[in-house]
Amino acid sequence: MRLTRRYYHVKDVKWRDEISFNDGILSISKKQLLDEISPLMKSIDSIDFEIAKPGESCRIIHALDAIQPMYKVSGNGYSYPGYFGKAETVGEGDTNLLKGFSIIQSAPLPWETTSASSGLLYPRDAIIDMSGEIAGISPFSQTINLVMIYKLKEGKSSAEYDNDIRLCSLKVSEILAKTTLLREPDEKELFALDELNSNLPNVVLVWQCQNQGVYSNTNLYGQNIDNLVPTLLHPNEMLDGCIVSGNYVWPAFKVPTYLHVNHPILLELYRQHGETINFKGVIFSRSHNPTNWHKERSANFCVKLAKQLEAQGLIMAWEGGGNAAVDGMLTIQAAEKNGIKATTITFEFGGIDGTEGILLVDDVPEADAVISGGSIEKQYILSKMDRVVGGDVLRLNKESGGLFPSAYDSYTFDNTTHLYCSGNQAGHSKLFAESY
Amino acid sequence: MGRMRAVYYINQFYAGLGGEERADIGLNVFNEKKGPALAIEKYWNDEMEVVKVISCGDNFVNNDEKFHSILTDISNVIKEAKADVFIAGPAFNAGRYGVACGKICSYVKKEMGIPSVTAMYYENPAVNMYEKDIYIIESPETAAGMRKVIPKLANLALKLAKREKIGASRIEGYLPTGHRYNEFHDKTGAQRVVEMLVKKLNNQKYTTEVPLRTLEQVSPAEPVKVLSESTIAMITTGGLVPKGNPDKLKQAFSVSYGKYNIEGMDSIHNGRYESIHGGYDTTLVDEDPNRLIPLDELRGLEKEGMIKKIYNHFFSTCGVGTNVENSKKIGRGIVTELLNEKVDAAILSST
Repeated sequence: MRLTRRYYHVKDVKWRDEISFNDGILSISKKQLLDEISPLMKSIDSIDFEIAKPGESCRIIHALDAIQPMYKVSGNGYSYPGYFGKAETVGEGDTNLLKGFSIIQSAPLPWETTSASSGLLYPRDAIIDMSGEIAGISPFSQTINLVMIYKLKEGKSSAEYDNDIRLCSLKVSEILAKTTLLREPDEKELFALDELNSNLPNVVLVWQCQNQGVYSNTNLYGQNIDNLVPTLLHPNEMLDGCIVSGNYVWPAFKVPTYLHVNHPILLELYRQHGETINFKGVIFSRSHNPTNWHKERSANFCVKLAKQLEAQGLIMAWEGGGNAAVDGMLTIQAAEKNGIKATTITFEFGGIDGTEGILLVDDVPEADAVISGGSIEKQYILSKMDRVVGGDVLRLNKESGGLFPSAYDSYTFDNTTHLYCSGNQAGHSKLFAESY
Repeated sequence: MGRMRAVYYINQFYAGLGGEERADIGLNVFNEKKGPALAIEKYWNDEMEVVKVISCGDNFVNNDEKFHSILTDISNVIKEAKADVFIAGPAFNAGRYGVACGKICSYVKKEMGIPSVTAMYYENPAVNMYEKDIYIIESPETAAGMRKVIPKLANLALKLAKREKIGASRIEGYLPTGHRYNEFHDKTGAQRVVEMLVKKLNNQKYTTEVPLRTLEQVSPAEPVKVLSESTIAMITTGGLVPKGNPDKLKQAFSVSYGKYNIEGMDSIHNGRYESIHGGYDTTLVDEDPNRLIPLDELRGLEKEGMIKKIYNHFFSTCGVGTNVENSKKIGRGIVTELLNEKVDAAILSST
């Protein structure tokens, strides 16, 4: 499987009457986008668009998923397969990407019981700052973002909102990335695993994602992974968008589609392929398995696949919090017991100074190589912002009746759970807990 | 400005007073430099000097009573010497010498407010006792590694004397104190997790960024002797609360628990109770809260006489992301109430 990614650097985005891409300037027409996506807006009243750029005094709130705009030029299937047609296997041919640019969904999904009856399954407010203290935490403070601000119709189900919000943004991704057709890219990169060096150790990535119901699901080729038995993916399938996130419950621990598609660990393994290791593939599994029995079953399946791939090394990475950590740790244990060496990355706890309680919810003695993604139990003071995209107030503490501070003001959080991607679960950021 | 001033502690052996046979010797104060105190100065480029060397026998300091008897003397020596920093060791893997260094450094730092530093092997038993309180430079196992460790000890001692900001443990070479703060690394998490795997695969040295912990064993309670004479309580970590969450329990990272009266109730009514737990789909619990607190079934057993009585309250908290220290606090609080109320056994439902 050989995939060429053709990158088109987006230097600026401007509102225009027509959608086009010229010399790094992406011109966007709101009207043209709405004309094309309106048939998909069944549970959506209206959509507004705003642009947020790096360094701006700007805060994005109610963020849901973030998408890498890309368009499949050749090879089977299309980008983000399974949504607008057949679930054809992707990962071969050529794909055009708008680099340094993302689409971010923002919607205040309803809190009322009909739509979010559960303590878990409601989207906690997710915050992205384009400048200031927390800017280095989310990858989207470094990209130009087209924020899609959804106004929802009343009385629709969670499943309907979830589906329609996703389809609209995937369609916008396709429309915008299609502007690159027949243009020369700024950069090209070939992704292939065919040249193995028998002197180097074989390594797999186990990528384990959350799936607990609508608003906390992960989709593989257009279908959630509730019943997924750990399966083997070619990394190129992920590069072409076979995994799409539908998980908004814990902003810190979630992994948006943009990072599934530009998975930092996967890309690093590709960089090392043929240099220090042979990258043998991605084992994709579901986390939050319901009981220990199910968790061990899943862990054993992952390790069996790794053995069949003759892996000597395994990187365990997961989306989600404590429950997922148990799945991950059992997989590390099973790997080491089968002679496969493992490392992992996770956020940690430890309180204000790192000495309070334990650092990890779960661990096993075999997990002796753990990279810190940073502690979520640290205080962060959000700066004042001139502009807020997605609304005017934050929506916090649903379980205590709700708290709605102005989103423009400075606000102090005692932990990072509301800060988008602060758990660093895919290793995108440099955030870590330094040991003193 | 004059040179900075260090006071240096060594044991009887490094002071040249003798070996094991002199381990009971008390406090000695020297004006001349001895052992490591002599070797360290050249790393300070005339910015600091050792102004006093003090020494005790290892057994003497390890005896708490004897140790306390010399604290005033030690304190006076250090005050008179106008010390900017206090240095002890290196103790390498010598257990009693390690404890002596840790004890005195900890005293000087906490009671006198003077920064202190020592050095020892990471497996020295004193490390666990003092690593949270003082800086302990990691040394090789034996005195053969003296030359390796002295420059690091010298460097940190000078920084401490100058009251400079002390860098991370991996940079300064001291054993982690357990304090951890968020910072930005020069590489991403993805780069580091791959790099560490490559090292592990090539049998090169690697250091986990998140330290391993040692697990604590919890011994189970004694079995219930006679069920029909027992009062049974119900506890859940599944977040069941009266609708509206009157105690404002947190739905994750819990710090407290709630206690709710069920006296005279035959079951937990849906609609009046709900789960606020932030880690699972609570729809089925909200539909029938007895799935979490099985009051309906237990009332039946109470009527049949299989159990004597159901305790009049149930306890609730959320077990999501709740750290072990807080869990212990919550657990102790609940257990204290249960013991005071003469409850014999409890059913704990988790989710």
